[in-house]
Amino acid sequence: MDGLKTDLAPSQNVVIPHFIYSTVSFLVLAIMLVISSDSLAGHYFQPSLLAITHVAVLGWATMIIFGALYQLIPVIMEAALFSETLARINFWILAIGITFFAISLWLFSYELLMPIASIIVLLGFMLFSLNITITSIKADKKEIQTWFIGTASIWLFLTGLLGTLIVFNYRFNFFDQIHLHYLKIHAHLGMAGWFILLIMGVGSLLLPMFFISHKLNKKKMILAYFLVNIGLLALSLDWWFTGGSKLIPLYGLIISGGILSFISFVYDSYKKRMRKKLDIGMKFSVLSILLFLAPIVLGLMAALRFPNSMQLLNRISLLYGFVFIMGFIGSMILGQIYKTLPFIIWLDKYKDRIGKEKTIMPRELYSEKMASFQFWTYVPAIVLLSAGILISNKLILLIGSIFLLLCTLSYVWNVSMMFLHKPKDLK
Amino acid sequence: MKSSEEILKIEGEIRQHLKTVMDPEVEVNIVDLGLIYRIEYDGESSVDVDMTLSTPACPLGDAIILNVNEVLKANMQDLKFNVQLVWDPPWSPEQMTEEGREILGM
Repeated sequence: MDGLKTDLAPSQNVVIPHFIYSTVSFLVLAIMLVISSDSLAGHYFQPSLLAITHVAVLGWATMIIFGALYQLIPVIMEAALFSETLARINFWILAIGITFFAISLWLFSYELLMPIASIIVLLGFMLFSLNITITSIKADKKEIQTWFIGTASIWLFLTGLLGTLIVFNYRFNFFDQIHLHYLKIHAHLGMAGWFILLIMGVGSLLLPMFFISHKLNKKKMILAYFLVNIGLLALSLDWWFTGGSKLIPLYGLIISGGILSFISFVYDSYKKRMRKKLDIGMKFSVLSILLFLAPIVLGLMAALRFPNSMQLLNRISLLYGFVFIMGFIGSMILGQIYKTLPFIIWLDKYKDRIGKEKTIMPRELYSEKMASFQFWTYVPAIVLLSAGILISNKLILLIGSIFLLLCTLSYVWNVSMMFLHKPKDLK
Repeated sequence: MKSSEEILKIEGEIRQHLKTVMDPEVEVNIVDLGLIYRIEYDGESSVDVDMTLSTPACPLGDAIILNVNEVLKANMQDLKFNVQLVWDPPWSPEQMTEEGREILGM
């Protein structure tokens, strides 16, 4: 079958463990947040918040992205993954590394556990970057998406490298400036370099596919690619060498321009969509794109030091990170899970029955009511937690984190339903 | 060799069988989605089917083509099917039937 590249798909045991680890992480994250919701009322640099953040960005988000990427790379690059064995080993390296790294942050045991765990995570990133870079070099099809993913994996490695250096600096103190300075660069390498580029690259392919929209302006994606990369490079170098010049808001604007170019691409796709009704997966995805606007505004406010109050600026910085991770990334994951996992499981469980007998549809592998409950607990969770951060109110933060826990439980329920599905006979 | 009327009738039957093949994501059958470009029965034992997918990147492509082959094999055992995946012309929404458009809410 010329042109059809799904026979390049990896085996399920490469993909599924990432989804399982990610789901467990999400549950752990929600529980941690309920236990220490009041930490969101303080400064962002505190052990519990650092631990929660890393469970979210590494355990939940990065792990599921790795799993999804292993599945999607053959589709996007029209090439098989360079090494499945490497991907399998890499899963265990990361699972162990991330688990111990999160524990070490929670306990703030920076003497031994944190350095060891951070090196293991970094090794995981290195192997991932290697696997992806070799795959992209060997790929026949080098569309803009290949560039997005390849570059994102390099930024991820740099994020991990700087993170590891920060950890070692606790003990050996070799940096000129205070930790927060490097933490800021580390966070932005991860946010803009890894997550934004990755989600834009994969999203620009998947979202139009799910909307069923054609004839989109790809130049917007090329513009987005260059603006985000140039803006981030300039921002990081400026912070590193000058400690933050007056040009910081300009770099923020360049990155924002890239984001807006991507949002405009998605908006075109939404307008031209053939499928008018949005299913639960696409409702979450559209919400994610809308929430993507919030960090632009909050980031620029922080860069311009507006309003002129240190206390308020701290809250805005925290909200900026929160909306980015739990809003933009979180909503995208909560939605795209329904556009990927049911199909992965369905193909696996029903591949021998397709065409020979009537089978259930992938959508029937999970409960739509539960998915809808997930949506309607997620929205108040984000609103309450954002409001709680902004006005620094512990009660609102607690209620918000309970809503998030309810959302998480419904997500875990549906994902478990899919994992535990036993093929049904419809005869 | 069958008459042209019989050929048309059998081609119609094949189309009906293909209507049982669903795109598992869109949940519309592949005939109404406009994925079937050509069904040509030679009047003896061989049938050519040209079909496409809504995007070459469709991760469910294998499953859909497997489904097509299995359904045809099971329902029309006397015929030999040659299912070809083609990308020219690329699929566009205009190729959908009225029924397909209705299901998508267009």
